[in-house]
Amino acid sequence: MSHHLFLLSPSDTPLYSLTHQSLKPAQTVTSPLAANLPTWSTSAFAGTLTALSGASSATQPSTGSGPTRVGGGQDRHVIQMIANASLDAIEDVMRKDSAMYLKAVDKFNDWTVSAFVTPGNMKFLLLHESKNDEGIRTFFMDVWELYVKTLANPFHSAHTPIRSAVFDARVRASAKKYL
Amino acid sequence: MDTNTFASLAQVQILLVPVGAIPQATFEKYASGIRSFETIRLSDIPADHKDEQANRFMPSPLSTGSLQIRFPTHPPPQTHLPLSLLRPSHFPFAVIGIASFPQGSSPDPLAAQLDAVISDMFPERKGLWPLRGVRRVLAFEEGDNQTQSDDQNQNTAPPPPSVSVIPSFMNNKKLYIGTLVADLCSQILTSFGTVAASLESPVGNEYLNSALMPQLLLEDVPLPLSEGTPSRPDSTISLPPSSSQPEFSRPFTLSAAPGTLKRTSTTTSPYRQSSLMIPAAKKRISTIGMSSPLGRLYKMLGDFYLLSGRTEEASKWYSEAITVLKSNSDNIWYASTLEGLATAAVIDAWSAGQGLHSSTATAKEPWGHIGEKLGQATALYHKTSTPDFETASLLVYLYCLCVLRHTSLYFAIWSAKGWGPLAFTAMLHPGPKPYLPPTLAHDGSRDWVTLERLSHISNVSRSTISSILSNLHGPWLLHLGPRERIAVLESTASIYSSMGFKRKEAFILREVLGSLMDLIVCGRDEDGMSQPNGAALQTGGLGIHNMTPGPNQSWGGVGVRLSESVRGNESILFVLKYLCRTLGINLEAVKLHAAPEDPSSISDSALITQYEQEETEVFQEPFGWPELQVGIIREAVAVAEALPDYPSVAQFSLSALKTLRPYLDADDQDRLHAKSVESLRVAVRRGDQRCIEYWSGKPVLDVTLAPLPTIRLPIEKPLGMLSSKDNSVPLLLQGGTDPFLYNPRRAQAGKTTSLVVQNEPLEFLVTLTNPYVFDLELQHLSLSTSGVQFETQPMHYFIPANSTMDVVLTGKPVETGTLTVRGCFVQAPGGLMREFILPLNTAEEVDRITKKRNSLACEFERHKYWGIESFPWQKAGRRESTQMAIPSISSFKFLQCKVVPEQPLLRIRRTTITHGALMLYDGERSSIRLTIENISSHPVDFLRLAFDDSTQGPAQRALAEGDLSVFDTYEMEYKLINAPVFSWNPEEVKVIAPNQNLTLTVDCFGKVGCTNGTVHISYSYTERDESKESGMFYVRQVSYPLAVTVYHMLECHAMDIAPFPSYVNNADFHGRLKSGKRKDLALDDSWGWCLFSVEVRNAYGLPFDVTFSRIGDGKAVASTSTTIPPGSMSRIILPIRKIILPEEAINKPIPTLSDRQFVVAKSDLTKAEQKVQQELFWYREELLKSIRGEWQETGGVRSGVLSLRDQRMTMHMLEAVRLEAAKVELTLVSREFEEPILMVGGRYMPLPNQFVALRARVENLVDEPVVFTLDVDVDPSESIVFEGILSDVPLGRLEANEVRDFCLGICFLSSGRFELSAQARPFGIPHLEARTARASIIATIVDS
Repeated sequence: MSHHLFLLSPSDTPLYSLTHQSLKPAQTVTSPLAANLPTWSTSAFAGTLTALSGASSATQPSTGSGPTRVGGGQDRHVIQMIANASLDAIEDVMRKDSAMYLKAVDKFNDWTVSAFVTPGNMKFLLLHESKNDEGIRTFFMDVWELYVKTLANPFHSAHTPIRSAVFDARVRASAKKYL
Repeated sequence: MDTNTFASLAQVQILLVPVGAIPQATFEKYASGIRSFETIRLSDIPADHKDEQANRFMPSPLSTGSLQIRFPTHPPPQTHLPLSLLRPSHFPFAVIGIASFPQGSSPDPLAAQLDAVISDMFPERKGLWPLRGVRRVLAFEEGDNQTQSDDQNQNTAPPPPSVSVIPSFMNNKKLYIGTLVADLCSQILTSFGTVAASLESPVGNEYLNSALMPQLLLEDVPLPLSEGTPSRPDSTISLPPSSSQPEFSRPFTLSAAPGTLKRTSTTTSPYRQSSLMIPAAKKRISTIGMSSPLGRLYKMLGDFYLLSGRTEEASKWYSEAITVLKSNSDNIWYASTLEGLATAAVIDAWSAGQGLHSSTATAKEPWGHIGEKLGQATALYHKTSTPDFETASLLVYLYCLCVLRHTSLYFAIWSAKGWGPLAFTAMLHPGPKPYLPPTLAHDGSRDWVTLERLSHISNVSRSTISSILSNLHGPWLLHLGPRERIAVLESTASIYSSMGFKRKEAFILREVLGSLMDLIVCGRDEDGMSQPNGAALQTGGLGIHNMTPGPNQSWGGVGVRLSESVRGNESILFVLKYLCRTLGINLEAVKLHAAPEDPSSISDSALITQYEQEETEVFQEPFGWPELQVGIIREAVAVAEALPDYPSVAQFSLSALKTLRPYLDADDQDRLHAKSVESLRVAVRRGDQRCIEYWSGKPVLDVTLAPLPTIRLPIEKPLGMLSSKDNSVPLLLQGGTDPFLYNPRRAQAGKTTSLVVQNEPLEFLVTLTNPYVFDLELQHLSLSTSGVQFETQPMHYFIPANSTMDVVLTGKPVETGTLTVRGCFVQAPGGLMREFILPLNTAEEVDRITKKRNSLACEFERHKYWGIESFPWQKAGRRESTQMAIPSISSFKFLQCKVVPEQPLLRIRRTTITHGALMLYDGERSSIRLTIENISSHPVDFLRLAFDDSTQGPAQRALAEGDLSVFDTYEMEYKLINAPVFSWNPEEVKVIAPNQNLTLTVDCFGKVGCTNGTVHISYSYTERDESKESGMFYVRQVSYPLAVTVYHMLECHAMDIAPFPSYVNNADFHGRLKSGKRKDLALDDSWGWCLFSVEVRNAYGLPFDVTFSRIGDGKAVASTSTTIPPGSMSRIILPIRKIILPEEAINKPIPTLSDRQFVVAKSDLTKAEQKVQQELFWYREELLKSIRGEWQETGGVRSGVLSLRDQRMTMHMLEAVRLEAAKVELTLVSREFEEPILMVGGRYMPLPNQFVALRARVENLVDEPVVFTLDVDVDPSESIVFEGILSDVPLGRLEANEVRDFCLGICFLSSGRFELSAQARPFGIPHLEARTARASIIATIVDS
């Protein structure tokens, strides 16, 4: 089961992203509708469609639950598209809701999107497959703290990509702990 | 295309097809006329009483409901046939052919044509729908009304029953058409009855339950209304062989024989109002098909009732169906029933609200139960497993439709601000185009406030809608056929778009594009396959390589496209651009222009705006998701390539390169660039007129004028300078230090425009930059100039990757005046030319840009807007921060050159020096000759030589420092001016005609310390009209540098001046002198001389002859020479005349040769000392004038002067050289009576112990009367006796030139040598006191 974390600047530019493979087994229920998908065409455009609709992950051999899907089996591009698309829902919710943690704010192609909006309008997006509200909330708080520490760097602005190895290591540790 | 209306289940579809030759516009016109009958009141439907058997769906005359009708123009595809029972509303029940026929012709063949059309559409006649016979041709007659009677006559012959002629003269066509439609509806309802009846039969029910999606295939169903075949002889029941479970694989046909129908009809209750008879019917039906559950049948009946507009019955039948289907877990049918039920509820609400015209706000959320039903249906569809591909496709289609229905319920409520008539209108809207509620229809309705207000009013949040809609999306979309998939995705995208969820919309649009492009590519593949090889070969020359971007597909052959249709390309590209914009990519950052336009037509203000944008582009905030953007750009390029639309390929690639450069890696940059180049080439080859503007940002950083070569550089001088008198002060000594701290003239001096010459080549250094990883090709690079005409050749240039470099652009101004360089024209291959302006970096300009940048830097990273709204193009309409506003200016200063008229050009043709080196001895004088040639077509009538050497600089610096003594200053200035290294004779100058030579002689003087020198030849052509007009002339310079070596060889030391010795009076000596070598030195007069002596040392390795001469009247009158061997030193002695300078000459201060101002006398000498100094100075000057030292190489030809200027003059020397105030003559005379005193060798030889007289004759040489005193000295005085006093003997006042004698008697007391001397001193006149005159004689006393 994989998690995808994105830290987005207010102009929707990712400053940091992380793909985390959790050891917990995925508990997705695939719909019978998604079985036996046909291959219509071999053109590249059909490939786009396959990827975007999430079929490429569904047609993966779903024999093993966890370990076989290491690497996500997901097109990174599609994950990013989903994360980007979910910003619509997040923006909608965050205008009405002052809470920072927006849990399961959007769902798309088996992915649940949880978000965390900092007062500085940074958005932390987490794409996950299973429900783990409390863990995700704790994880987000951790990331927030780490982010605030990074932001304390006077040379760091709201648009500077985060390349700190320490930040990365700590986020990974936190992800391992809570996700 | 299908529109997924919410109430599609309740809508009767009537297919509109064109019949015969009818223009599309005409068809659309009539079709829209027909489409205005969206609903038909049940009471308007004529009841057909001819056959009572099938009339149970007929409305009662008084019923209040209405029939919903939809008029599609396209039939559902063949693959949807399995849905014919499950979803009857999906199919058209009737067909209206629309035909137009010219007046006078017969509409008869139209019926047959319609049949043909239908059989073409439904080729295998397998479908249940459209029902046979329920078809009608509306033949619109074209033409005017004048042949009315003829028409009447012609139409008297009744047209076929299925053809309704609408004459052109008919006034109320609409009413007529309405009647026709109602009539058609009546037929449809009747046919429902027939179908229902056949299904009610046990066999029918069996088939109904036979499969997941059973089909009822009617072969020639003898419908009651199709009058042509009331009973066909061959229409027998062809049931499959006695099996209650028919094979699934085989299409199951139910051939409804008349007998069967009759039988059914007998059992069917002929009630028109069957609502009360449901239990009866149920009971009755249950007796028929016992073997299979009746759920599906009930559901079918419900469907029919719903279609018939009788929701009450429909709901009842549906409820019945649910109970059965639920227990059977017949998921699809159950879900479909739920959908029907939901539709019925909405229809109910609609008809209720129709009368009320107000929103029914009784319940909190009246739509809640409807939504629940649909949600349930969605879940049921979702759970269903699929046995095979085909069914799966349809199942997914149903699922998607259900989700869309569910979504559109909420969406309609949301967009209509709640549950009300507007929402019902939205849900029931049947038209061919999607219905956009008025709340969203106007511009500017997509901002958050408006959308959120809708949510607030309607109590439906957007996220609710979104979450329902997101159910639709999943891998199963791949099951759908392309057409359905596109339709479903389009509906999804439009809902997202309407809700303002742009990014989700973009996501879906990508899929839509993917599906479309897949179809295009696959379609093309099939085309390519179907081409015979011969054709490919024939057109091979024009064929293009298939641009299919499949990475792992290799196309070996030549893809041939015979005729390429570009229809639709534009729309696809539009969608592409739209979705890219949502993701923050501006695919049109580089614009396409329809036709090449003249770059000069762009207005200056536009250029300035561009310039300012480019200046501040640094502060472009990042926006969007770069990684995604790069991915989408790749796809966009692939899409444009696959269409193919070559200019767009280039546009997208280049836009990406322009806007996304920091994020594109090297490979991508290379690929995109290569693609753009390639596709532009193809576009040109294909004659595409569109052109792409210049794209690579700002490639030109700077333009500067390369400095002209010094020989070509013109220098402007006012004409008045020629006529003005020569300045007495040599230029060498002018302009030392500037006394002003700030000299505005000097500040101005550096900023004058450069001068260039007409018709001579100019070079400009253009700094180009290329930030990309590939070599940037500039097809055209030229200067943009204004002002005078400038001839230049454009360049083709490659800027190497990732580099900044200078390029030289040459050109030639062909007029005089001001040449302004505005910037550069740049053109990339296949693109448009673009002008980049490059203002000068003046202080104001730099200041302005800095200010602007600072203000931007201030706003940088402060975001008021986020997400999509932070994209740069969204900022256009927003209010800018006012305090940051920098006034933009409308004009700039550009690089300017002043073009002056053509000038002559000289060159040095030859010189007499070899290797450019000059070797001189110290003080040597020689000359060199320079031959100059005029290589231009203009004469040179002005020529001046100026010189520079290495001794000047240090001297000038020392002078400028000003801490030298007055004397030293004079010496230095004297050397600079009077002893220059180079000099020339201005008399040699004459006009040099074109191509003529002139030889100039330059005199050289060896000056120790000189190491190099330069001859500057300034010349001009002044006598011309242009000069007279402008009052200016232009001077050019040729310089000839020389290396100079000066050998130091003779040194002068110890100059001295001694009084003349007494023996000069010796006649023997004179005699010897005159006969000897140095006869020149012989003196005519023994008085008034002194002796000059100097030591000369030869420090060189060669002997030199040295000659010192006395100058009289400007020429040498006497000289003394000697040869000084190397390393030795000789003393040179020369008698010179004593000098007397007038008082006023002595009293002048030491002059300065320059006119330097502010020379403050720094000496702290007393007046007396100063006087002495002046006296020394002037006498020295006089002395140096009277002596000339010269040398010559012994045995050689080289000669020069020996300077004594280094020698100092002392007071002692001054006294020696100065002429006395009086002339004193001493003689020893004897008494008158005695013999005169013997003189031997100039000595007196008086006798001892005898009185002799010592006579001193004093002559006043001063021009005024002077009182003299005389002192007489005798030595040794003890051996002499004398008479009177010896000292301070008053001589009295002597007039000028008066002579007075004084006699003193003396007696020598012993033999020996006596020296007698006298000095006459002027008395009482201070300035004469020093000029004491002396004389002495020697007497030798010999004992006799």
